[in-house]
Amino acid sequence: MSAIATPLAPLDQGRAGFRQSLVAEWTKFRSVRSTWVSLSILIVAAIGLAALVTALQANHWKTGTLQDRFNFDPLRYSQAGHFVNQFVVGVLGVLIVSAEYTTGSIRTTLAATPRRLTVLLAKGTVLTAILFLLSEAVAFISFLLSEAILKGAGGMLLAPGTTIRGQISAAHAPYLTLSSPGAAAALFRSGLFLVLLALVAFGIAWIIRNTTGSISLFVGILLVLPLILQLLPSSFAQPIERYLPINLGTAMVATSTRHNDFAGTLLSPWAASAVMLLYALILVGIGAWMLNRRDA
Amino acid sequence: MIEAEGLSKRYGSTVAVNGLSFSVRPGVVTGFLGPNGSGKSTTMRMIMGLDHPDAGGVSIDGQRYHDLRWPLREVGALLEAKALHPGRSAYNHLLSMAQSNSIPRSRVDEVLAMVGLTAVAKRKAGKFSLGMGQRLGIASALLGDPGVLLFDEPINGLDPEGILWVRTLLKSLAAEGRTILVSSHLMSEMALTATDLVVIGRGELIADTTVADFIASNTEATMLVRSPDLAGLSAAIQAIGGDVRPGEGDSLLVTKVGAAAIGDAALAAGISIHELRELQASLEEVFMDLTSDAVDFHGTTGATVTP
Repeated sequence: MSAIATPLAPLDQGRAGFRQSLVAEWTKFRSVRSTWVSLSILIVAAIGLAALVTALQANHWKTGTLQDRFNFDPLRYSQAGHFVNQFVVGVLGVLIVSAEYTTGSIRTTLAATPRRLTVLLAKGTVLTAILFLLSEAVAFISFLLSEAILKGAGGMLLAPGTTIRGQISAAHAPYLTLSSPGAAAALFRSGLFLVLLALVAFGIAWIIRNTTGSISLFVGILLVLPLILQLLPSSFAQPIERYLPINLGTAMVATSTRHNDFAGTLLSPWAASAVMLLYALILVGIGAWMLNRRDA
Repeated sequence: MIEAEGLSKRYGSTVAVNGLSFSVRPGVVTGFLGPNGSGKSTTMRMIMGLDHPDAGGVSIDGQRYHDLRWPLREVGALLEAKALHPGRSAYNHLLSMAQSNSIPRSRVDEVLAMVGLTAVAKRKAGKFSLGMGQRLGIASALLGDPGVLLFDEPINGLDPEGILWVRTLLKSLAAEGRTILVSSHLMSEMALTATDLVVIGRGELIADTTVADFIASNTEATMLVRSPDLAGLSAAIQAIGGDVRPGEGDSLLVTKVGAAAIGDAALAAGISIHELRELQASLEEVFMDLTSDAVDFHGTTGATVTP
């Protein structure tokens, strides 16, 4: 009798490649609790904050100043969950990599798939696919919920071709629809921002490998860097500020009509998207290079 | 068949493995022996392509690990007991490994049953005891029914029953014609399970041989002799070509000359002898003797390993 219960039929063709690694990475992704905790927070924060911020802003319309009304941006309020979710997707992007290093399971993973870039691509694909579906879904759902709240409060549709100026003396805060100019594209970019941010964190984690260090660096780039720039002379800081991820996020969520309000301080929405994509590609690229070069 | 050729690895200024060449043949258990910190784990990681050698290389059945098409079906490894995510169940850990190498799902249940973990398969692996973790590591090594198996300190944390199970398992895997490399810092354990031996110290090869040859060629007959006049006796023995080391108390340890020659030399010098006998070196002592110079980290009690 064989010590190993039954012999395994040999495979003559193929190799342990991307397809196999993808299935394995999905199993790993779905079989740890942190995944489900993160994704639940993402949904609750997106929808909860959209409802809360929109309701409070709608209420404030009646008592607010004209300047407040002028700044009223229903689409941005519907995406208020970003303030929480930029960290949620960062943690998720870091953990999918760093958990392997801190637990030692990276050795199991790379022993099973010695072509390391295959592992990186499979993990990146799982992360991107799941977050893309979820982030886009919550971006649109949060928006629809927010607009329903505004409409329910008695608001009028902000008609295409008009700006908030046109309704500045209305009794109730106006609302948008998916067919409002630039709204659908802004919502798409809103979801995209979270995906690209997760990939930035993913790239950082391949470089740093340790959970605490990776998350610290990620939070540093997102929150601390803007604070440092504020201390610098504005002639120096101003040209740089628009390239900070946090400001790229603001630019990406802006509708083109709203974007005029930020003219000069932010990149255009699609340019901001392209810069974010570039950041993600550069960091993941460095991570991939280091993964191949270093000992596991 | 595992073949290492001039394998070298340094971490910063520390040389972990230096010019290591050895081969591991199929069909027998090969013990990979060395004190803690001698480079065993580093060597195993290099065999599996996890660490890149600075020089030299290692092949498995003629191929680099990186080039194996279905690695888990060719090489199984127990590298560290807990090279897994503590929050993931044993079942999902094995399932993801199986999926990565197109190993059928049914196989996961089989290996879990083999190592006796079926009942706890859905529990988080991080909650496992050291022994259960070790069993899970063995299950993952056997998952792909591989022809080459690497076990890094497999009996760590196992109870006597578990140790016996591992010994039997290793021997039966070898008997099926598999190549088995088992690292240990315990010579006595290797004496029981291994046929071949690769012995390293401070990253360098000390011996690549069989257990039997290793003992025969390294066990030099040592004589213990007691006398009230150690200085005089020492000079008398050296005069006839013996090597003398101080032993415990009023004794000397003598090599190169036999009991008769020592007795005759003492008589000629007029020195009385209180005891004269041959010491039986155990495999453990041989190993300690050979590697004592190659131990990087001695205990802090100040005691030296050799008498």
